[in-house]
Amino acid sequence: MKRYLINIFLSLGIVFLIVGCGNQNEHLAKGKELIKSDKRRKEERAVREFKLAIQQESNNAEAHYLLGFYDSQEFYEANLPEWNQASIAQRGQHMFKAYQNKSREYLEILVFDTLRDDDVNVQNAALEALTLVYQQGDRKQLLNQLEKAIKSKDNRDRHDAHWVMSNIGKSDPTTMVPILVDLLEHNQMGTRLNAVKALGEIGSEKAIPVLAALIESGSAKREGDREVAEVRQMAVAALGKIGGKAVPELVKITQNKGSSLRVDAIRALSSLGDEKAVQPLLDALKEKSSREIVVNLGN
Amino acid sequence: MSKNILLVLLYIIVLLALGCDNVYYDEHLKMEVQQLDSDLENRWSTTGVVVSSITPNGPAEKANLVEGELISYVIGEYPIQNANGFNKAVKKAMENDNNMLLYLKDKEPIRIATRKMGDKVGLEVENVDTVRIKTIMSGTPAANTGIIQVGDIVEKIVDERKIQGLDDYKKSVNEFAELNATLTFRTTELIGVKIAAVTALGNLGDVRAVDALIDILKNTRELALRKAAARSIERLVALSELNPLFQQFQEQDLNQLTANTLDSEQLASAEILGLLLVDAKANTATLEAPFGIQFRHRSEALHQKVNEGRLVELAQQYIQKVYEPEQEIRRACLSIIANLKPVSAIDPLVQVLRDEDEIPGIRFQAGLGLSRIGTSAIDALIAAFNEADSTAQDIAASALGNIGGTQTRDFLINALETTSNPATQLTLVDAIAKIGDEPSLSALERQRLRFQGDNSAIRIFLDEVFSSLTTSSE
Repeated sequence: MKRYLINIFLSLGIVFLIVGCGNQNEHLAKGKELIKSDKRRKEERAVREFKLAIQQESNNAEAHYLLGFYDSQEFYEANLPEWNQASIAQRGQHMFKAYQNKSREYLEILVFDTLRDDDVNVQNAALEALTLVYQQGDRKQLLNQLEKAIKSKDNRDRHDAHWVMSNIGKSDPTTMVPILVDLLEHNQMGTRLNAVKALGEIGSEKAIPVLAALIESGSAKREGDREVAEVRQMAVAALGKIGGKAVPELVKITQNKGSSLRVDAIRALSSLGDEKAVQPLLDALKEKSSREIVVNLGN
Repeated sequence: MSKNILLVLLYIIVLLALGCDNVYYDEHLKMEVQQLDSDLENRWSTTGVVVSSITPNGPAEKANLVEGELISYVIGEYPIQNANGFNKAVKKAMENDNNMLLYLKDKEPIRIATRKMGDKVGLEVENVDTVRIKTIMSGTPAANTGIIQVGDIVEKIVDERKIQGLDDYKKSVNEFAELNATLTFRTTELIGVKIAAVTALGNLGDVRAVDALIDILKNTRELALRKAAARSIERLVALSELNPLFQQFQEQDLNQLTANTLDSEQLASAEILGLLLVDAKANTATLEAPFGIQFRHRSEALHQKVNEGRLVELAQQYIQKVYEPEQEIRRACLSIIANLKPVSAIDPLVQVLRDEDEIPGIRFQAGLGLSRIGTSAIDALIAAFNEADSTAQDIAASALGNIGGTQTRDFLINALETTSNPATQLTLVDAIAKIGDEPSLSALERQRLRFQGDNSAIRIFLDEVFSSLTTSSE
C-alpha cells in the first residue's frame, strides 16, 4: 500500500517536472538567448520576447524583471503607447512585479545588482521598484536588505543603499531618519559617511542635533570619541542641505575658532542665502592677523 | 540619605572632569584656552590652542590678546646672566625639540639644532663681566654653524615651542614662568576662513558687506584675500544692478512673474547669477529658492548702498596700474565701472585705454566701460583715436561703433576714408557695420568699390560684412 502511494507520488512528480519543463516559457528563453547573442538590436528584440512571455504567463517573475531591465523609450517613437510603457515608472512596475512573485530573490537582486547597473535609467527603475516595495511590499525585509547594503564592505553597495534610503526618507522621514541616526554608531567609516549623506539629502530638521554632536566631537579630548574628519565634513554639508533650523548650528561652527570646519560651514551658509549668516561672517573678517604678542607675567 | 548626596557629588565631579577636558584655565595669564579640533593640523597645517575667554585686568588682557586668537607657538626668552644660567637655558631649550636660537652680540640670531635628544650643542662659556664663548667643540652643531667665534658675547637664548595641544601649552607656559623667561605668543590667522567669508558675503548680497569688503580691498596686505574681496564687490555690484527687476517681484510680492513683461537683458543676467529660472515655454520667471527669494527683500538696500558713490570712487582708483599692481583686481574694478556707468569714470578709463604699458585685454575692457557710459564718452574716445597708439585706436573705434549715433558715424566714416593703416581700416569697417544705418552702408559700399579686385584683407572683410548683412536682412 505504502509502496503504491510512493510510486504514485514519484510518477506525478515526474509528470509535473516534464510539463514544467515543456512549459518553460519559450519567449522568455528566446529573449534571454538574444541578450546573450551579439545580434543587432538584440535588446529591442529581446524586449519583444519578454512582452510575449508575460502575455503567455502574466506571473513570470523573470520575464517581468528582464522587461523592466531592458525596455527603453529609445526603442519607440515618442508618445506611442509602447513608448509610454517604457517609462521609468512602468519599468519599475515590472521590476516590482518580479518582486511580488519571488520576493526574496528579487529584493536581493534589486538592491545588490540592479542598482549597480551603469545605466542611470536602470538605476532609476530599480529605485522606483524599491519604493513600491516600501509602500506595498514587505517593508521590514526591504529595510533589512538596505541596512545590509549600507553596512557592506563594498563602497558601491553603501552608496546605492544611501541613495535609496534618502529617496524613501524624503517621503517618510519618520521611519528613515531614526534608522540612519542609529547607523551613525556603526564602526565602519563608509557606513557612517553614507548615513550622514542620506540625512542631508532627506533634509529633515530632526537630524540636526545628532549631526551637530557629531561635528562637535572633533575637539573631544579622547581620540576614541572623535568622529573622523571626512564624516564631520560631510555632516556640515548635510546641515547645509537641511537649511532652515540648521542655520544657527552652522553659524555656531563658523564662530568656533578652534574648528577645522569653519570654511565648510561658511560655504554651506553661503549657498543657503540666509540673512542670519551675514553678521557672523562680518565678525570673522575682524579677526586678528597672525602676529607676535609679548606677555608680561608680572613676576 | 548621605550616601545619595555623595553619589550626586561624585556624579557632579565626574561631569566637571569630563566637561573640562578640552579647555584649560591658565593661572599665569588669567585666561582660558581651548583644544583645537583634531583635523586642523591635517587640513590647514595648523596646530595650537585657541583663546576662549580672558579674565579682565589679567596679564592676557594687558597684553591685548583677543578671544579667538589661535596660539601656535609659545616662545620663551632666557636672559643669560652667568655660565650656569647659560647651561641651564641650553638644556631647557633643547629638551623639547632639539632646537634653539642663540643671540650673540652684534650677530644675527643663530639657529642650533641637534639630531637627537641629548646630543651636545658643543659650546662652553665663561663669565668675564659678561658671558662669553670659551670653547667651540669641533664637529658639533655649534661648530657647524661657522658663525660662532670664541669670545662672542651671549645675550640670550630663545626657545620656540610649537604647540600641538593643551598639554604642550600647559607645560611650556609653566616652565617659562618658572624660569622667569620673557614669554611671547605667536598666533596664526586662518586666512582660508577669511577668504571663505569674503566669498560668502559676495554671494549673500547683503548691504552690510559693502563697507567691510571695501575695507579689506584697501587695507589688507594678503593678496588672496584682496582678490576675493574684489570679486565679491564685483558680484555685489552686478546683483545691485538687477534691482529694477527685483523690485517688480517685490512690488507684487510674488516669486514668479510672466517672463515677457520683464526686461530680457536683466532676466538673462539674473539667470547667470543663479537668482532665477526662466521657462521660455511657460513664459515664467521664477526666483530660485532659497537665494533668489531671499534676495528680493535685500535688493533695494544693496542698490542704494552701491550707488552711494563710495564704490565708484574706489573702482576709479583701483583700475590704475600705478595704484593696483594686481591685474585681477584692476579687471574686477573695470567690471564694476562698466556696471555702474558713472560719467566721472571717463577720464580714468581713457587713461587706462591709452596706457601703452597696460595689458591689451585690460585696455580693451576700459574701452568697453566707455562704450557702456555712452554718448558722454564720445569726445574722449575720438581724442584717444586721434592721439594715441594703434591699440588705443582699435579699441576707441570699436567702442565708438558700440555707442553709435550720427556724430560718431560721421567721424568713423571720415576716418576710414582718410586712414591708410590696414589694421585700423578693418576695425573701422567693423565699427561702421555695427552702426549699420543707410549712410554707413553706402560708405562701406564706396570702400568696396575702392578695393575691388584687390586681394587685400580689407576687401575680403568687406565682402564678408556685406554677405552677412544680406543674409541677416533676408
